[in-house]
Amino acid sequence: MATPRTTRQKEVRRHLLVYAGLTPFLVIAVFPIYWMVITAFKQEPDLYRMENIPFWFNMAPTLKNFNILFYQTNYGSWIVNTMMIATWVAIITLLTAVPAGYALARLRLPGAENIGIAIFMTYLVPGIILFLPLSRVVATLGLQDSWWALVLVYPTFTVPFCTWLMMGFFKTVPMEMEEAARVDGCGQLGAFIRVVLPVSVPGVLTAVIFAFTLSMQDFLYGLAFVSPGDQKPVPVGVPTELIRGDVYFWGSLMGAALLVGLPVAILYNFFLDRFIQGITGGVVK
Amino acid sequence: MSVSQPALTPSTVSRRRFLTVAGAGVTTSALLTMLDARQAPAQIKGTTLRILQWSHFIPAYDAWFDNKFVKDWGDKNGVKVRVDHIPHLELPARMAAEFAAGAGHDIIMNGSSILTRLYYKSLADVSDIYDSIGKKRGGWIPTAKPLVEVEGKQYGIPMFYILLPMLYRKDLFDANNLKAPDTWELARVAARTLKPKGHPTGIQFSQCADANLNWRSVLFSFGGAETDPSGENILIDSKETREALRFAKALFDEGMTPEVFSWDDASDNRFLASGVGCWIHDAISAYRTTEDTNPDVFKNTHIAMEPAGPGGKRVSTSAANVYMIWKFSKNQPAAKEFLVHFMEEFKDGMVQSRGYNMPYLLGDAQKPMPIIGSDPKMQILQDFPKIVAFYGYPGPFTTPVQEVVNLFVLPDMFTRVARGQSVDDVMKWGVGEYQRIFSKHKRA
Amino acid sequence: MTTASLHGGPEPSARAAVVSAPVLPTSHASWWRTHSAQRKTFGYTLLAPAALYVLLLVGAPFLFSLWLAVSDANVGDPVAHFVGLENFRAAWEMDTFWIAFRNSVVFLVVAAIFKGLLGTSLAFLLLQNFRGKKLIRGLVVIPFTLPIAISVLSWKWMYDSQFSVINWVLSRAGLIGSYGSESWPVWLGQPKLALAACIAVNVWRTFPFSAIVLLAGFTAIPLEVLDAAKVDGCTFFQRFRHIVTPMIFPILMIGFLFDTVFTLSDLSVVYLLTQGGPANATKILPVLAYQIGIQAGNLGRGAAIALFLVPLLLPALILVLRNIKRREW
Repeated sequence: MATPRTTRQKEVRRHLLVYAGLTPFLVIAVFPIYWMVITAFKQEPDLYRMENIPFWFNMAPTLKNFNILFYQTNYGSWIVNTMMIATWVAIITLLTAVPAGYALARLRLPGAENIGIAIFMTYLVPGIILFLPLSRVVATLGLQDSWWALVLVYPTFTVPFCTWLMMGFFKTVPMEMEEAARVDGCGQLGAFIRVVLPVSVPGVLTAVIFAFTLSMQDFLYGLAFVSPGDQKPVPVGVPTELIRGDVYFWGSLMGAALLVGLPVAILYNFFLDRFIQGITGGVVK
Repeated sequence: MSVSQPALTPSTVSRRRFLTVAGAGVTTSALLTMLDARQAPAQIKGTTLRILQWSHFIPAYDAWFDNKFVKDWGDKNGVKVRVDHIPHLELPARMAAEFAAGAGHDIIMNGSSILTRLYYKSLADVSDIYDSIGKKRGGWIPTAKPLVEVEGKQYGIPMFYILLPMLYRKDLFDANNLKAPDTWELARVAARTLKPKGHPTGIQFSQCADANLNWRSVLFSFGGAETDPSGENILIDSKETREALRFAKALFDEGMTPEVFSWDDASDNRFLASGVGCWIHDAISAYRTTEDTNPDVFKNTHIAMEPAGPGGKRVSTSAANVYMIWKFSKNQPAAKEFLVHFMEEFKDGMVQSRGYNMPYLLGDAQKPMPIIGSDPKMQILQDFPKIVAFYGYPGPFTTPVQEVVNLFVLPDMFTRVARGQSVDDVMKWGVGEYQRIFSKHKRA
Repeated sequence: MTTASLHGGPEPSARAAVVSAPVLPTSHASWWRTHSAQRKTFGYTLLAPAALYVLLLVGAPFLFSLWLAVSDANVGDPVAHFVGLENFRAAWEMDTFWIAFRNSVVFLVVAAIFKGLLGTSLAFLLLQNFRGKKLIRGLVVIPFTLPIAISVLSWKWMYDSQFSVINWVLSRAGLIGSYGSESWPVWLGQPKLALAACIAVNVWRTFPFSAIVLLAGFTAIPLEVLDAAKVDGCTFFQRFRHIVTPMIFPILMIGFLFDTVFTLSDLSVVYLLTQGGPANATKILPVLAYQIGIQAGNLGRGAAIALFLVPLLLPALILVLRNIKRREW
């Protein structure tokens, strides 16, 4: 009789401890988001009074900032562009990084180790220098001032990381599985496609979300290669058209961030689920 | 070619009349045709023109420019025009990218960083329209040419400049029997009086564009200079510069709070709009922001002339904006035609920018000027064209000056003094920086 | 039932096979040998797209930037001349360069420490089973998913000298004075605070990433080993030090390395918050390189500054990566 109660007490206490531990993290991560939400709905004069409470509305909330966002800027186009760019970049990254990761992980190629390291080295080259020769490449290919220029350029920083990611995942696929498939008559390609890939779905999905997220983190390339208002992705369009001279349109800035950030976070979370699930397949705690 | 100066009249003067008065001295028939906006040369019909410029702080200006002004001109001339916008601080990056690519826009704008001397080999020579526009509109102000001239030729057309006047709270001044801040000393007294009452002042002691402009106004008004008129010799180390530095320190100690060390270009706008600031030295974007967000404060905000230094000198350092045409542009005729048109219709731009765009052409600077001429609080701005200066003053805007500006050397000097470093040490450091940068560019 | 790990950490069953030299059952070995040419062709074909992409779009521009660093290239000048190590020497002589170098290193180290601590703690917490885990996991990830330019701008407003919401809270809570007083922190205006503020934004943005990487690593550790250790009487810390750490070491290292290069070359945070001020307190190498190379137009020196860290990082990276590889193979 005393035992079940103690177990439950223990559970409750454990839960409380965990929640207590998590609270600071939640506050740090989420508080700025909450504040951004409120600011997005505030009237402009509300922001510029020192006596006002930042966490709630002092003047009536308004949709004016979103109005500006959708009717006076190209925000709608920006969102579409961002999603298109991210999708294409994810596709290109998958098509290049997955095979490369497999080749480096499993096929015992001579020089694989050095190639792996060399791929990593690409991150040392700073974008502020890279964007100039890339500018020429982009122009020669006729992609200047189109968001396709970014589709071309973003994989330069998603591919190396995702290659390493996939290498790690492929290494954990037991050799026996592949060998069994080959003994059964699959070619090397067959073994790869039919046996290794399905097992590595969590890894592939992880690569997808990282590629997706990384392609929304760029500012410099977008600025240098895409100037027409309707071709910009959100990370470039928002700072360039909602900051005019020395005037910041804070409400719209915040609104813009949220409308693109939150759906991605939700999407991200969904994939993360699969990824963790896949990994914890055998280690459920 | 000698053409008698036409009488200074509003821009609606009939072009045919001008040509008759001026006589037959015209350069080419193409130029003639260009000046007559009713008929475009057939060669530009059906072409495309691409313009890159900043996001004007008044969104309505961009809306007017993109959707009405260029569209009307484009329709009339059969040219498809597209305008793209990026923040003025990012224009150098974009320019570098287009240069590296050898492709991009036809007309590109330079704001605050006038890169003529860096890029002139890749820019189209626009001396012909520079001269014709000047002649037609009463001449350029004297400080316009050094911005765009290299080796006797002009590679850009100065568009407009942005003034940073004195914006002050007349109600606070009146309530405390303070005289309007006509000199820097009066401004300092006002700040000293009002800070204890909760109304300090603020000028950016940081690395931002406004700091570059504001502190140069102080320096020049105190009689100091960075270079001599040739632009070759460094004159920063002088009695006047030291006086300016000492003044800045006193002003900071007596009238400001330490927050000014974190200020960027927009901070003083907010400062004024919040009702706290007693005066700021800033572009009228601050004036307009206050108008939009704090009508009570706006009612009491007045604009004053650039304060005079101890010697009575007034120099207002302004932010220059210049249009340039790339040499690789495939449509230079249309670009030139458009620039001529823009400068001719400059007054429209002044109206649409609510008085923000200031003219380089004396014809447009005649009183009464649009918007600022009719608004009693803004009329004082009409007296600024006589005293404006740009980076490099009193010399040209050379590449070493460019680097000095981009590395915020002068604001750093003032910041260090405000933070307590001795004027001598700061001067030594500053002179060292100037010398290092200038000698490097001489080597190159 | 396989236990998968992110970057290595072999399964216990395979470990025995892997730790000894790669000896496979003889029939398989000969099978491998006869098909080795085929395997290599296949391998290189798979590798080709990625390698080509990187070679063309990163390798070639990298060589170009090396050329820039040893030339007197200017933004507007089509012609550039070789000047040897002049640009590096000029950078060496610049006061500001060493300040930027020091700031970059401080930034990296402090940020890494905080990211490590926060990431590890969060990963541990997320390992636990509790209600609402999915929701909370989704929430803490948001800083990483917001586009960087926008989230940094939000922080800029949060750090504002007048309207800072952080100061508002601290001031109402009585921890600091009111606006205008000595104890009102001007986050982006006081040199040490400014650097801390920039580091804080970097940490805020990327610690979820660290936590996820660590989480993946933790979940890869086989339960049996941990349980065996528990049974043997190891304390939590002993288990952590002797079992957990070595097994997650490869992942930790990879994550740390990627984070290092990302942080060292990141321009956005400082550029948007302080532009390198106040008085160079937050000037880091990428910002300096950008101001000199692009804004002032001196490409040669900008490139030299930007590439300065490469020869320093390269050997360190190679060493670490070789080390990890050895552990894995």
